Amino acid sequence: MHEFGIAQELVKTVLAELKKLDDSAKLTCVKVVIGKLQEIVPENLTFAYESLTEDTRIKGSKLEIVDIPVTVKCNACGWEGEVVGIAFLCGKCESHDVRVVKGMELYLDKLEVEVDE
Amino acid sequence: MSKREIKVYSDLSGANAVWADKIRKLREEKGIVMLNLIGSPGCGKTTLLEKTVESLTAKQRFAVLEGDIATTRDAERLHKLGVMVSQLVTKGACHLSAKLVHKAFVDLPLDELDMVIVENVGNLVCPAGMDIGETAKVAVLSVAEGEDKPAKYPRLFREAKGVVITKTDLLPYVSFNMEACLDDIKQINGTIPVIKVSAKDGSGMGEWVKFLTSFSKNQH
Repeated sequence: MHEFGIAQELVKTVLAELKKLDDSAKLTCVKVVIGKLQEIVPENLTFAYESLTEDTRIKGSKLEIVDIPVTVKCNACGWEGEVVGIAFLCGKCESHDVRVVKGMELYLDKLEVEVDE
Repeated sequence: MSKREIKVYSDLSGANAVWADKIRKLREEKGIVMLNLIGSPGCGKTTLLEKTVESLTAKQRFAVLEGDIATTRDAERLHKLGVMVSQLVTKGACHLSAKLVHKAFVDLPLDELDMVIVENVGNLVCPAGMDIGETAKVAVLSVAEGEDKPAKYPRLFREAKGVVITKTDLLPYVSFNMEACLDDIKQINGTIPVIKVSAKDGSGMGEWVKFLTSFSKNQH
């Protein structure tokens, strides 16, 4: 359940961001970007988020999770493409000497708020 | 009322990353190698370390940080063998955080050490995603668990700089397909060394100690 620790960090960050806005600002949606290699179970993260926001001003806000597939780049020929299954290898020259370029993301991307005009 | 979108872009591993960097910096300053052993509960991490003590002591000045959810049993086992060991009890958490490791790390006599081996909490998922400022993660997998573990938990095997397959003395009694396991590891991380050991009959232990010391600059 490493999702809980991540949700704690997320809630802390979101509340700090909201402090910069007017008190009347109401958070409607939080968008996080998470790479597949983080091995996060979305349902667990959502559950943790909902539990941790229960007694806060962001209760009821929606958590949107954007899933990023794993992409590798070949160190030998420069090919770049998505990992199919568990095959971390080059789709062109089949070299195993590849580096992960996408799929490790774990960040809060943006907030959607309603504000009084 | 009007809707507004606020772009934030804030890394969510923030707090842990700060502590991991502190460990990494101090470690590099002191020339200490830190290896982070990760594997399932019961895969034989502590037994492997127990059997490593004698031959590693001749080559490296080392300490062990033992991660456990609730008990100090593993640390007691190693303490009996004269190993410098600290127990990190996570009180329920499924992995060691960099903050907890840092606390124990700075308490070690760092000027007298070449290597710190961290035995993480038994778990193939959470510790794999947690940076503790280590030199390398090492995946530990026993033949009793089944050959499908690398394919099921690719992150660990992708991040690790080596895999140890333990309990090979049990191979005649379990249906572990070594070839399929090695093939999956190769798919996930083609360049990674795989060491097969039995802490019970001693096979592969020489290669294991050689692998451990290969990370260290201070060879004795």
